Order: sequence, then C-alpha cells, then structure tokens
Amino acid sequence: MQRVEATGVAVELAGASPIVGGVGNSTFDLIPFDRPANFYMWNSMGMASSIGLGLALARPDLRVVVLDGDGSILMNLSSLATARAAGVTNLVHVIWDNGGWEITGGQPAGSPFGVDLEAVARGCGFLKTASVDTVAAFRSAFAAAMADSVAWVIVGKVAPGDSPYRPSKNCVWLRDRFAIAVSSQRSADECEREIADS
Amino acid sequence: MKDVRSSAVTTTLKRSGRHTAADAPAWARTLLAALRDEDITNLVFLPDTVMGRLLALAEEDPFFRLVGVHREEEAVGVLTGLYLGGQRGAMLIQSSGLGNTLNALGSLAMAYRIPFPVLVSLRGELGEFNPAQLHMGRAVPGCLDALTIRHVTLRSETDLATIVTGALKTCFTAEEPFGILLSAQLTGWKAEK
Repeated sequence: MQRVEATGVAVELAGASPIVGGVGNSTFDLIPFDRPANFYMWNSMGMASSIGLGLALARPDLRVVVLDGDGSILMNLSSLATARAAGVTNLVHVIWDNGGWEITGGQPAGSPFGVDLEAVARGCGFLKTASVDTVAAFRSAFAAAMADSVAWVIVGKVAPGDSPYRPSKNCVWLRDRFAIAVSSQRSADECEREIADS
Repeated sequence: MKDVRSSAVTTTLKRSGRHTAADAPAWARTLLAALRDEDITNLVFLPDTVMGRLLALAEEDPFFRLVGVHREEEAVGVLTGLYLGGQRGAMLIQSSGLGNTLNALGSLAMAYRIPFPVLVSLRGELGEFNPAQLHMGRAVPGCLDALTIRHVTLRSETDLATIVTGALKTCFTAEEPFGILLSAQLTGWKAEK
C-alpha cells in the first residue's frame, strides 16, 4: 500500500471531519489533498495523537482523525493510555507503519523487530483496532471507524518512501485556518437550538 | 476478573486521588478562582502532592474538566488540540515534568502560538529533602527563559490573585505559554528529612 494513496482515501472518507497530520511524511502526503480542516505539524514529533485527543475532548460532536507515523507513536505510546483514560469515543487514530524512521534515512524501528502497534493499542484499551496492508482493506476499516461511535486505531502497513510534498511554513496561518475550519462545523446541538429558536 | 475494556471508561473514579477538597489550601482556591474567571475549563495534569491538593478542589467543581496525562509532553499536545477546538486549558505539573515538555513547548506551542498557563510546582528550591530534585528544579526558570517563555513565581498569599490573573490575561493576549511557578514558600515543603 502506498501511503499517499491511502491518505487520499482517508481524506475522501473523512468528509468534513478534522484531520491532524503527524510530523514528516504523514503530514506531507496530506498536501495533495489539502483542505482547511487539515492540521499540519512541522516538528514536535509524537504530538499528533495528543493534539487529536485534545481536539476530540473539545469537540465531542466531531470525529477527529489522526494520521500518524509508526516512529511518531513509538515516541508517545503513553498517549494511547491517556486517550483511554480520558474516555474519548470520537478519535480515529491511523498509524502508517513503514517499519522505521523513513525521513532520516530508513532506519528500522518498531514492526521489523516484532513490535505490534495494534496489540499495543488493544492493550491500552482501544476496543476497535485493525491492521491492514491494502488500500481496499484500509478503505473498509476506515469507513467502519468513521461510522462507529467508539475510538479506533488502524495500523496501515505502507511501502517505504519519502513524500515530495510540503505544507506552508507559516505555522500561525496553519493554526488559524484549521481552527476556523473546525469552529465553522457547528455541533448538532447548536443546529437543533437554532431550529428550536427560529 | 471483569474486563474493564468492555465497558465505558469509569467516570466515577476520583482523579485527584486521596486528596480532599475540604483540605484544600487558600492558595488553591485563589488559583482556581482566577482560572475560572479567565474561562480556563480544562486542567491537563500529571500530579504531584502540591497539585493534588488543587486538583481535589477542582474535581468538586463541575466547571473544570480534569485530563490526566502519563508524560508531561503529552499535555502540550492536548492543550494545543483543545485550543484549536475552541477551549482553554492549563497545564499542572511538577518541576521534574517541565523537563519532559521542552521540545513540544518550543516546536509546537511557541511555533504555532498556542496559549496556556503552565503551573509548575517547584521542587528543589526551598526545603528540599531529595537530592535528585535539586537540579531540574533550579533549571526551571532558565529553561523557560531559554525558550523566551514568560514566567512568574508565586511566593505568598499577598497579591496572589492579582499576579495570577495578570499572568493569565497576558498569556492569552501574547498567544504563548506562560509559566506560573509555585514556590514551596507558598505551598509548603514535605516534612520528610
């Protein structure tokens, strides 16, 4: 499975849901599918899952998607336990597993040594998890996750390879564009109140 | 044994542990009142004994949501996500834990200009019994200075509300983290020798 192709499937199926990209290739491969509701992280490796958790807590009416890397989540495994303890149900956490630190030269990490990230997620209390290695299987799992009412972790085995794409380097603009896109998605409660008031 | 994963997360667990709201010190009441007045609803924490006393009081108040993390760096991400989703929060940690946040403070919160107060219980300054707390504790102001993060140190009840409220207001105006350091002069040190 090519990461960029699977990323396109995720954006297609996410609809209006916000997507948080992890550092490096997970974010870079979102650029062909750029939209205001994508958040691009330029550094702070490992933080995508925590940002997704914070957003999921702030907006329980939205399904929040995180596109993470295996190296990144290995740096912040405790965030999986934190998501469980926080009790969020609206988080869909995708981990692209290319077997290592791709962008720094393809050094192996994680799965080549037998680390099973899906089992880690299960162990941290995620009720729904999947490991997929084809685009068709990813489409199926991701569609199920987006339609569900519990949190998911999907480990997508992807081929090695760096992404040629890059986001804007204006971090504050990236912040504001994303926050505005998220705030424009009114909650069902708000819509109902508006209808009731009219 | 019951598999807790088969059920929703238990919301009845007392997140602040054995501390009780009734025993909360005056400084904790002042800090929470200031946080509330600035609409800071989320307390993202990794506790120590000092913060535990404040958290016990906060947990009794439905205005606040307590979010426990398992490593302090996570709190930078969680607070960023909360802010992007339209909510304010504060980080509550010990001086040891500040060391675990530094790269994320620099490369996420400062780079993307994400405001939140960082309440740090200072070990290693006054009354310390633990030799391994001395160095990170002493390094806290210098670490924040190196990242050009503003900070104040709370030492007494005098002017406490003014200093904390002022720090919170500046924090959100500047759109940057702001360190609020709690000295043992205010919070008391451990009796252990």
